[in-house]
Amino acid sequence: MTTHLYLSLIPEALIASGLEPDEFGLYYSIGNAKRARGQAVFFSVDKDALPPEAFDLTDLDARCAPHPDGRPKHSVYLSIYRVLEHIPRHALTALHLATDDGRVLTLEPAPTAADGEVGSRLYQEFCPVTPRVVSSLDPAEFTRFITDTDRHVHVPRLVFAELTLGSLRLDPDATDVDDLPYPNVGHLRDCIRELQASPHKATKTVMRQMNQDVLFRTVQGAFYVGDSTGLTAFHMPSRDELEREHLAWWRSALSSFGQ
Amino acid sequence: MLPTWFWLVPLSSVMALGASYYFFSQMMKESEGTETMARIAAHVRHGALAYLKQQYKIVGIVLASLTAIFCVLAYGFHLQNPWVPFAFLTGGLFSALAGFIGMRTATYASARTANAARESLNSGLRVAFRSGAVMGLTVVGLGLLDIAIWFFVLTRFYNVDDSQQVVVITTTMLTFGMGAAVQSLFARVGGGIFTKAADVGADLVGKIEAGIPEDDPRNPATIADNVGDNVGDVAGMGADLYESYVGVILASAALGAAAYFSAGAETQLLAVIAPMVIGALGALLSVLGVFFVRTKEGASQKELLASLGRGVNGSAVLIAALSLGLLALMQMPNLWGLWLALVVGLLTGIAIGRAAEYFTSESYKPTRGIAGASKTGPATVIIEGIGVGMVSVAVPVLAVVLGTSLAYFFGSGFEYSTDTMNLGLYGIGMAAVGMLSTLGITLATDAYGPIADNAGGNAEMSGLPPEVRERTDALDSLGNTTAATGKGFAIGSAALTGMALLASYIEEVKIGISHILERGTDFVFPDGTVVAAGAVDQLQAFNLMEMMSFFEVVLINPKVIVSMFTGAMLAFAFSGITMNAVGRAAGQMVDEVRRQFREIPGIMSGESDPDYARCVSISTKAAQREMMMPAALALAAPVIIGLIFGVPGVLGLLIGAMVTGFSLSMFQANSGGAWDNAKKYIEQGHHGGKGSESHKAAVIGDTVGDPFKDTSGPGLNILVKLMSMESIVIAGVTAAVHLL
Repeated sequence: MTTHLYLSLIPEALIASGLEPDEFGLYYSIGNAKRARGQAVFFSVDKDALPPEAFDLTDLDARCAPHPDGRPKHSVYLSIYRVLEHIPRHALTALHLATDDGRVLTLEPAPTAADGEVGSRLYQEFCPVTPRVVSSLDPAEFTRFITDTDRHVHVPRLVFAELTLGSLRLDPDATDVDDLPYPNVGHLRDCIRELQASPHKATKTVMRQMNQDVLFRTVQGAFYVGDSTGLTAFHMPSRDELEREHLAWWRSALSSFGQ
Repeated sequence: MLPTWFWLVPLSSVMALGASYYFFSQMMKESEGTETMARIAAHVRHGALAYLKQQYKIVGIVLASLTAIFCVLAYGFHLQNPWVPFAFLTGGLFSALAGFIGMRTATYASARTANAARESLNSGLRVAFRSGAVMGLTVVGLGLLDIAIWFFVLTRFYNVDDSQQVVVITTTMLTFGMGAAVQSLFARVGGGIFTKAADVGADLVGKIEAGIPEDDPRNPATIADNVGDNVGDVAGMGADLYESYVGVILASAALGAAAYFSAGAETQLLAVIAPMVIGALGALLSVLGVFFVRTKEGASQKELLASLGRGVNGSAVLIAALSLGLLALMQMPNLWGLWLALVVGLLTGIAIGRAAEYFTSESYKPTRGIAGASKTGPATVIIEGIGVGMVSVAVPVLAVVLGTSLAYFFGSGFEYSTDTMNLGLYGIGMAAVGMLSTLGITLATDAYGPIADNAGGNAEMSGLPPEVRERTDALDSLGNTTAATGKGFAIGSAALTGMALLASYIEEVKIGISHILERGTDFVFPDGTVVAAGAVDQLQAFNLMEMMSFFEVVLINPKVIVSMFTGAMLAFAFSGITMNAVGRAAGQMVDEVRRQFREIPGIMSGESDPDYARCVSISTKAAQREMMMPAALALAAPVIIGLIFGVPGVLGLLIGAMVTGFSLSMFQANSGGAWDNAKKYIEQGHHGGKGSESHKAAVIGDTVGDPFKDTSGPGLNILVKLMSMESIVIAGVTAAVHLL
């Protein structure tokens, strides 16, 4: 039985498991007997790509040995707190998005390219901190800004996603934004206005932390993992592809409540 | 001898049933699609059949018990016409048969509709609508057949040249409406409890407890939810409208017999069969209307609605035009007055339907207002929904008030006097007949709704491509609108039927008293007026106002007032009991689903199938158990009030229940529909769209509205009609035996 390593973002933890990603996502979201529910976002981690000094992986297979009745071990926590910063970007081989009823969508890493879009952007950070911010920077610039060691406030590595702003991207007073599910859109507008009024300001916090699930339908473009050396994107499929190829996941994602 | 025109009734009945069979066989020739689609449809079909089997067992026991009681009353105490037990029984059986055929058709049609939608939108619409038409045409076909058979049989035993005997024939026939009413009580209220227990249970588990999307095969309650659409909205609605349809034709026939009592046997007989013949014409035009319904590929919601409208409105326009010719050919007295009354009924039905659409469709301000209220949470959604529902009562009530007044005056020749009162009431009866004349096609649009809904569920569960699901979604969405207008129509027709039955009640009381007089006993009215033994002719000469006076049916009479209060209270008690029943049954469903998740490993990963049948069984048992109390309430109230207060008490009870029940029913149906569509409006991408806080608030409103619009609201129709029918059947008893 293969032992998998997963980096969970909610909460931040490195977990060993005998379960395949789909099974792990299901287990992680709903538990063993549908006693719990909750969205899960986690990466598959290539253990051979991990720095040997970062985690104690000795006897990993023994610790993850199946139960006596043959059932795979569901989860063995290897590390919590400040885990992401010790895992190099190239060790993250896939991103898995599990809905709160356990459907899993797997995204593959891909190189990033500037999208050429102008206007404000909305970013939801997942790890190591979870604020939601508006920014005038594109994902690559935003990553460089947040991981810049010359700034007093920075993080070594960051996972985040860009969320849709619709027409607010260009015009904070736009009225055709009825489909944006964010709480307090008025405050969001104020943040964008403030950002646009202060060209020297790169970001403005909209919410200090995530306190509900993220609605996957609002993710625009990709999830990103970035550090000072670069940026890896995990692109979301198009709406059409989601409806055709990943219908079960998409329906589940659409039936969740969040922010 | 029967007038030639009568034969149009059995003829059109056979044609409607023939067309129904044709549409059924055409639907069965369609493919059910993939193996998964067929498997899901089979689950729903078996569940629906299991429910009906259980329901019919209980209805069978109730019908048999009541038949036995009527036999004792008719043959033991001679308080009733000897035909009553048999007429009662056939009414129940035909109603059950109509519900069974409609529901079987619907459960065969859902997968076929989804499969047809793979080809095109028009194909999907055609299969769904024509399958709905099976229900509509079966109801009118069986209704007319039942009427034709009984009229024919009774005219073999009674002399149609004797005006008094014609009155006896029509009032005797009315009693088969009670059989239909009892059956429809179980079908509509039991079906309503089943469907909402399953729906609310599935929603609570799926959306709130487990985060599972709607129509997800991993949700153990999802098949029960789909079964519920069929047993509640197809079999229940069919039985409800079957009862209204036959009830209104028979009540109008009885009013015709009373109104033209002194006009000569031939004219009286024409007045009796005119409602039947108009029904027959409507049935034929409904068949024709079905063929008008078609649409182009990629049609918008508006175009889809227009295509259904073509069928319904086409039939309505044709009946308005052709009925004038028909009444003229029949050489009916007061031709223009009766025709105008009929047209007024048609227009009243349309006005009620339009009002329901305005207050419940997301295209209009009221529902959008509820959606807007969701921005401040569920409390304001509930407040706004209740407010909209209450305001919405004004239009249908005023439409009925105006329609009734106009029909009365058209019927009486714009004369308000004691002498013309029966003619005016006959005008009201004709208006009710006009409203229900195109029931074949209007019911087709109602039954179409759950078929399209189930087709959408089947397409989702089978994972059909997005373009197909878009088509089934469009068909489903259209079904929601037609369901809301259909409910308004059903409630409106129940109000007119109730009014027509009130007048028929007095005729039946007269017959009950005449049995007493024929047995050689004097009859003393509450005001002291005495009719001597054997003086049946003297009794028959009394007009309605005289009867009201003899029975002291005046507002100041405490017997009337306390009974009116009781009637009004019953409407609320009935609603409360049925709503609580849904809450309890939904709770059991949630417990069962939790148990299955706990005890059947692999449901969520899709490795194991849930025990769908167990959830269907829970809803079935809950529906039967929970409806005992409302059924007992509806059946016992007229008997108890009648035995205590006599005729004035019964009339007070019926008026209190009808006035309150109609308004309350309309309020509940419209509030529920508006909450449902406010949620859908948000899901279309307004006020934050799916998953937002507004959406969460709207989902709560929708869940509250579920038992409003599908259980207690429609159930009130039956309460009012059943109590009226029962009062008619036991009129002889309450006239003869009462405490005060």
